[in-house]
Amino acid sequence: MTERCREKYLVAGPPFLFLLLMLAVPCVITLIASMSYPGEFGGLAPFISKDTHALHGLTLETYLFFFSDFIYTEIFIKSILMAAGTTLICLMMAYPVALLIARSPKKRRNMLVLLVILPFASNFLIRIYAWMIILGPQSALSRLVNGILHMFGQAPVHLLFSSAAVLTALVYVHLPFMVLPLYTNLEKHDPALLDAAQDLGANAWQRFCQVTFPLSLPGVFAGSALVFIPVLGVFAIPEILGGTGDMMIGNLIKEQFLVARDWPFGATLSVMLTTILLLIAWLTSKAGAIHA
Amino acid sequence: MWRLLLLLVGTAQAEDLLYLYNWNNYIADQTIERFEAECACHVVQDYYSDNEEMLAKLAAGATGYDLVIPTGNATESLIRQHALRPLDKRLLPDLKNIDAAYMNTVFDPGNQYSVPYAYTLTLIGYNPNKIRELGLPVDSWAVIFEPRYLEKIKGRVTVLDSQRELLAAALKYLGYSANDTEEAHWKQARDLIIRAKPYWAAFNASSYIKELAAGNIWLVHGYSSDIYQADQDAQTSGRAFRIKAILPREGAVLALDSMVLHKSGRRPDLAHRFINFMLDGKNSAELTNLIGSGNPNRRALPHIRPEIAQNPAIFPASGEKLEMLKDLDRHQRRILSRIWIEIKLR
Repeated sequence: MTERCREKYLVAGPPFLFLLLMLAVPCVITLIASMSYPGEFGGLAPFISKDTHALHGLTLETYLFFFSDFIYTEIFIKSILMAAGTTLICLMMAYPVALLIARSPKKRRNMLVLLVILPFASNFLIRIYAWMIILGPQSALSRLVNGILHMFGQAPVHLLFSSAAVLTALVYVHLPFMVLPLYTNLEKHDPALLDAAQDLGANAWQRFCQVTFPLSLPGVFAGSALVFIPVLGVFAIPEILGGTGDMMIGNLIKEQFLVARDWPFGATLSVMLTTILLLIAWLTSKAGAIHA
Repeated sequence: MWRLLLLLVGTAQAEDLLYLYNWNNYIADQTIERFEAECACHVVQDYYSDNEEMLAKLAAGATGYDLVIPTGNATESLIRQHALRPLDKRLLPDLKNIDAAYMNTVFDPGNQYSVPYAYTLTLIGYNPNKIRELGLPVDSWAVIFEPRYLEKIKGRVTVLDSQRELLAAALKYLGYSANDTEEAHWKQARDLIIRAKPYWAAFNASSYIKELAAGNIWLVHGYSSDIYQADQDAQTSGRAFRIKAILPREGAVLALDSMVLHKSGRRPDLAHRFINFMLDGKNSAELTNLIGSGNPNRRALPHIRPEIAQNPAIFPASGEKLEMLKDLDRHQRRILSRIWIEIKLR
């Protein structure tokens, strides 16, 4: 091993090990928990028990339970659709913003990026509770919407405690995660390419479709992954702003641990979620690599 | 030198700490202050808002709590986990103040571990002006579950966001025990709930107090103490209506909260003193006057405000069909969670 190589390992080794441990160890624990029996009072039943009648050891019963019933798969599908919808809306809203920042004078860019991340300065939960006020039945927005509906003879609607409220807050919270990778990508584009395209007769729309957008695909994939992955596991937003039907995977998992005290089944749901996310992360990295 | 030592001992005693793990707003401030003065100690409180939260935190290894005030089924669960310290009844001379009806429960036969503290009923709360106007009967769970009544108050009804409580109300209405664990009966209850759900405004755990008092919600499935709170709020904000509670004739759930000693507590001596202090009628009555909870202490009655003491929805007449919820086993918990998801999604 050369000196430089050893140095590289010395520097990168500890953080790498930390990440590996913090990813691998919890995954293994979750996997084992998912294959245990639930404890009488919550927690897990012991693996070894002197009492042969007591439940112990490893089992796949939680997985059988999961697949014996469509309702759990249904929640997964609903959550995936919700996450996909959020990602798409974020992408459509973030792209013009990122493009604007990337094309603005260099002096102003940092300022604009700072404005994008400014909401992080206030607590996440406070921002969600703020939406409760904005969408509440007494709010100006609610009254405006219902006033317009009334003019057209429509029945009033509840904005709060609905899927629309959940989707709105999901987009609101995750928008910066889409803007930043897009901006980082778009900023690096060589303006000469667009000049060349223009010289060759491409109009603005053609320049965007055939030059800017294809070049920005790695940014699109990175941003989509950064939005899709956390949204799929979210539980606070549907809990606070959702109605009774807006249960997502995160809420289902939380309920298994805190209400049903069924750790193995909660762990099984987590394993399913992690598997889906890893699959999606792998696919995006593949797709990103092709276009890079 | 001796004086210095005495002084040190003195300050050490002044810093005696009693750790109490309690429900939110479940003891009057002046009660705590008097106890602190009496025992020259300091009470440190931590709070929870439901039993599951408390059990989950203790199961995750939280230690150092001398006293916890769980509901019956959670008490049972803690006893069976060997998480509690048996009481030393010689230190609790005032235990005799507790009404025999609340002693010797199925959760803790012989009260080896628990001393009754307060109770609440899960019943029907309503806005009498609106309900009378619409001519709805409120003495039965039918008004919560039957579409023929609900269609008159669509969107003005909330039910508790609690698997056990809502299921218990539905089971009671169907004529079963609140503790029935027959899966077929649970499914009947589920269908009843799903049929009524479109008429309910929300599954709600706490904000129904505010909504009742503001006049947005007219009928609730809720806790007696919360409904009392809503009535107080309606009065203080000068509303033209009161909020009433009624015990449905099919019966209801009674939740008895008891003081128990957690094994990890370091000061069982102080904890016993606290329990005996709370067994005093006057101290116990302060809680009832504060939040309108039921009181199992016979000596407390003379100190309780008459409008609370004479309210049958807080102090039910004997012979009412009241049941305490028992803990479910792991299999039942999973089935119930499965049914609950169906209720929420359909």
